[in-house]
Amino acid sequence: MGAWDQRENYVREGKPSYLDERRFTQVGRSVPRIDGPAKAKGEAVYTADMVLPGMVYGKIKRCKEYAHANIKKIDCSKALALPGVLAVLTGDEAPNKWGIVPASANETALAVGKVRFYGEGVAAVAAIDEETAEAACDLIEVEYEPLPALLDPFESMARAGEVNIHENAPDNILHKGDQIYGDVDKAFEKCEYILEKEFKTGRPQHGYIEPMSAVASYDTQNGLLHLWASSQVPHYLHRQMSIVLEMPMSKIRVTLPAVGGGFGGKGEAAASEFVACLLSRKIGRPVKVTFERADVFYTSKGRHPCYMKWKIGLDKDGYIQAVDFDNTMDKGAYAGWGVVVMFYTASMVHLPYKVPNARSLVRNVYTNLPTTGAMRGLGGVQPRFAMECMLDELAEMMGISPYELKMKNAIDSGYTAINNMYVPHTEYKKCLQTAVEKSGYLEKHGKLPFGKGIGLAGGYYISGTAYTLYQSYKPHTSVTLKVDTEGGVTVLCAAAEIGQGCNTVMAQMAAEALGVHYEDVHVQTGDTEIGSFDLGSFASRLTYASGYAINEAAREINFKLREMAGGLLGCRADHLEIKDRMIYSMFEPKFKIEWATVVQKYVNSVGALSAVGHFSPPRRKGIDIITGNRIQGANIGHSPTFGFSCQIHEVEVDVETGRVYVKKVTEAGDCGTAVNPMSVDGQVEGSIMFNMGACLYEDMKFDAKGKHLNPNFHDYKCPTFMEMPDMDTNIVDSYDPTAPFGVKETGEGAVQPTFPAITNAIYDAIGVRFYQVPITPEMILKALKEKKEKEAGCGCGCGA
Amino acid sequence: MFMNNFEYFAPKTPGEAFELVGRLGKKAKILAGGTDLVILMKDKIVSPECLIDITNIEEFEGIKYEPGKGMVIGATTKNSEVQYSEIVKEKYYALAYAAGEIGSSQVRHMGTIGGNSCNASPSGETPTPLVALGAKVIVSSAAGDREMPLEDFITGVRRIDLKEGEILTKFVLPEPAPKSASRYAYMGARDANEIDCVNMAVNIELEADNQTVKSVRLVMGSVFVRPLVSAAVPALLNGKKFSDELVEKAAEAAQGEAKPITDIRASEEYRHTIVGVLARRLLKEAFAAAQEV
Repeated sequence: MGAWDQRENYVREGKPSYLDERRFTQVGRSVPRIDGPAKAKGEAVYTADMVLPGMVYGKIKRCKEYAHANIKKIDCSKALALPGVLAVLTGDEAPNKWGIVPASANETALAVGKVRFYGEGVAAVAAIDEETAEAACDLIEVEYEPLPALLDPFESMARAGEVNIHENAPDNILHKGDQIYGDVDKAFEKCEYILEKEFKTGRPQHGYIEPMSAVASYDTQNGLLHLWASSQVPHYLHRQMSIVLEMPMSKIRVTLPAVGGGFGGKGEAAASEFVACLLSRKIGRPVKVTFERADVFYTSKGRHPCYMKWKIGLDKDGYIQAVDFDNTMDKGAYAGWGVVVMFYTASMVHLPYKVPNARSLVRNVYTNLPTTGAMRGLGGVQPRFAMECMLDELAEMMGISPYELKMKNAIDSGYTAINNMYVPHTEYKKCLQTAVEKSGYLEKHGKLPFGKGIGLAGGYYISGTAYTLYQSYKPHTSVTLKVDTEGGVTVLCAAAEIGQGCNTVMAQMAAEALGVHYEDVHVQTGDTEIGSFDLGSFASRLTYASGYAINEAAREINFKLREMAGGLLGCRADHLEIKDRMIYSMFEPKFKIEWATVVQKYVNSVGALSAVGHFSPPRRKGIDIITGNRIQGANIGHSPTFGFSCQIHEVEVDVETGRVYVKKVTEAGDCGTAVNPMSVDGQVEGSIMFNMGACLYEDMKFDAKGKHLNPNFHDYKCPTFMEMPDMDTNIVDSYDPTAPFGVKETGEGAVQPTFPAITNAIYDAIGVRFYQVPITPEMILKALKEKKEKEAGCGCGCGA
Repeated sequence: MFMNNFEYFAPKTPGEAFELVGRLGKKAKILAGGTDLVILMKDKIVSPECLIDITNIEEFEGIKYEPGKGMVIGATTKNSEVQYSEIVKEKYYALAYAAGEIGSSQVRHMGTIGGNSCNASPSGETPTPLVALGAKVIVSSAAGDREMPLEDFITGVRRIDLKEGEILTKFVLPEPAPKSASRYAYMGARDANEIDCVNMAVNIELEADNQTVKSVRLVMGSVFVRPLVSAAVPALLNGKKFSDELVEKAAEAAQGEAKPITDIRASEEYRHTIVGVLARRLLKEAFAAAQEV
């Protein structure tokens, strides 16, 4: 057994363990990650490291001339004539449309008929080496008829009659929706404090270290296709491949080697994967397609820029009465996760504060810029930025501390939002309190010298999802547990370990559920043929979902082992507990036997043990059986439980250069039971750095024609460890009794407060509020200059 | 992403190198670390038929300091070696600091100080302090050596005064004046792996009274096609008692001389502002340091 984490503060004394569902021995350990040593030593095998016998290389020819153009002609003859070239591929050879959301699927493996964004793939080549493949791409001649490039969602809507990006979207809008709860207009009439503001967010990308890579091997003898890919969603990839290749899913196997990060960017299929499979099927040899960084910038689906109008009203005591939210989102060229992200932004207004009346009018608009999609904290980051900044401003209007205002409005456990979203458990107030106390926020806020500031913001995120757009309501995660005398315990699940640590926490939860040690458990994930079904790594769902399924499967195995042990010990099976590799009576110490012995006896007499457990997410809409009415709401955006957090950032602004330095971050998070506290720390610190990037540094830029200006890590600036602030991350004591092991998410909730905490801190430092991210040094200087001019005013200091 | 095929030469002696450079002429590029050249080749901006790797030639490498005479730095000395050299840090502080701010650790251990100047990027780190410190370059060929100030060697964006058959072999730095100090600063979006939007070096020498500026050299990077040596700042400060008011004037004068452009990294206006900020800060820092000498 490893050492208990020093911060472990759950009191274990006072009652027998069988009466205490929080008496964990494996959950709560800061064990090193299963995948850690291989990665630290550089021995982990990523897709791009793979070489198969006879393997050749594929490359994609991209449109580098236009962001929007009809394809008149593609001539591949010169490429085919180049020695070493084995095949070429164009879009019309695989025209079936794929998409992560079935109802809005509108992408093809390669462009068919027209290109809709700069760098879209128009053809592909397979050749004996990458160099030849690249040379062959240069020899492919494409004739285009340029179309006007729409680079702004408002321009796109205004010119829809003249320029159309997708035939089936005559208004250039992917989807729009109204979510109206209560009577917002009436509620505003009674408000004492009303604030109206407009916000805008930038266009960051995930910045994962490993570019997409795919190796496909099609066996011409038996018609089986095996795809190795860098993906977060092996199941979706599997399904999309079946659609595009017109092959049954049972003939396709998807395997994930080590994956170097995803953050949502690998949450859809990628052109590399389709092209590798299509080329492999065409030539009967394994094909590898690996993206360069520029390919990632062109195609990876980053965060939606949002143009938001907000109105929030408080009553005279500071209680939120109404929120009015209007959001225009830049969808980029294709649908992707767009419908989901859009509705998430609408549902994010309902938590973590009590909002009795809310109106969200949202629309997601096509442009000829890179497709936007899922990115860590999907749909939450943009509205959270606005709401937390506005509450800061409203608190100032009221003359109270933002902390007081947020505490006043924060929800409690068992809260049902007006849209029917149900929060079984929350420690949000404890997060606010902890961060405020540990940072000294109340002593510092408003009192630091000019140039230094402190800012507070809270946030929450879904923990798992009720993904109502999935094609069926089968369980979203199934886990098979296998126990035998050879392999010990094996967890089989087609989930995706993308660096977030799911294999490690699954091993800890399986060990806990089966009463053995973490070190006894093997985890097999990332293979659609070996593992039981899983939807994928997104929506911060895996810890909750797999934990639930693991518990269910373990119950079956434990039942069998207890019966066997009861027989061996001569006591009642239902008096037996399994913990710490022992099976023992809860009441009489003399009845005790080693777990491994019982397993051996069971296997010898009955055979190897296995069981499957399932998880289906809860639903919050449906039919009222008495009245027959349909109950709406809490559709997208609902989840079995929610994680909460608070961040307090302390910044220094160099008022001469405009640089903002985040010096210290105090964070407190409610992630339920921390299965692995060390891993939680890593997720939280990573989250803060992640959105510090998009708040102060990162933005994709384009010229007037839609051509990328910074598709590389030279000019797309992620913060480095030189920018990393001191971090004090705190896991507040929390246990959700409705969740398996009491768990919640921590991978996406902790990105939510970062924009507004920094923005509020900048205001505290220099007295300027920003309503747009990223906040660049040039913006700071400009704002300071304007402030100075305004203050100088008529010279009398009246501010006029 | 792939470079053209090229022939690779790795001469061991200056003689071999001069022979190759003379014989291959325009067909060849000199490889001295490759942290810039290889990127240009991968992007197909240059596609030389031959590469002549001069990093195996002992005579072109290393840091030699002779008290009272100054320092000679071989062109193929790694930037990391300049960064960590105690004697460079002591005598030519601005240069050691600038060398340590180039790219990443990996880049500094591969890239050379000669390469940084020969790449002639306006945002290059080491040319700015080298010029401020009065560095001269030695350009050698089979026919002999030419010597010139570094600011004359770099003639424009990616343009240097290197004739066919020549190799930049050395930097010669004069012994620092007794009461002098040099400082370097840069501005960019972040503090590592950064391409500067402005960089600057100041080398200041004081009279015995510790107050009067005997001479000052202020050099700006990334605001002109090559390192820009301020004429106005010395004109304002030389012979004058150092004061905050004078610094303000000098900073304004430097801003007046800078000719920045707008690009992806910063706007012209921002660069202009930063020239003023860095000039103010560096002049004060260098002055304070010189008082301590």
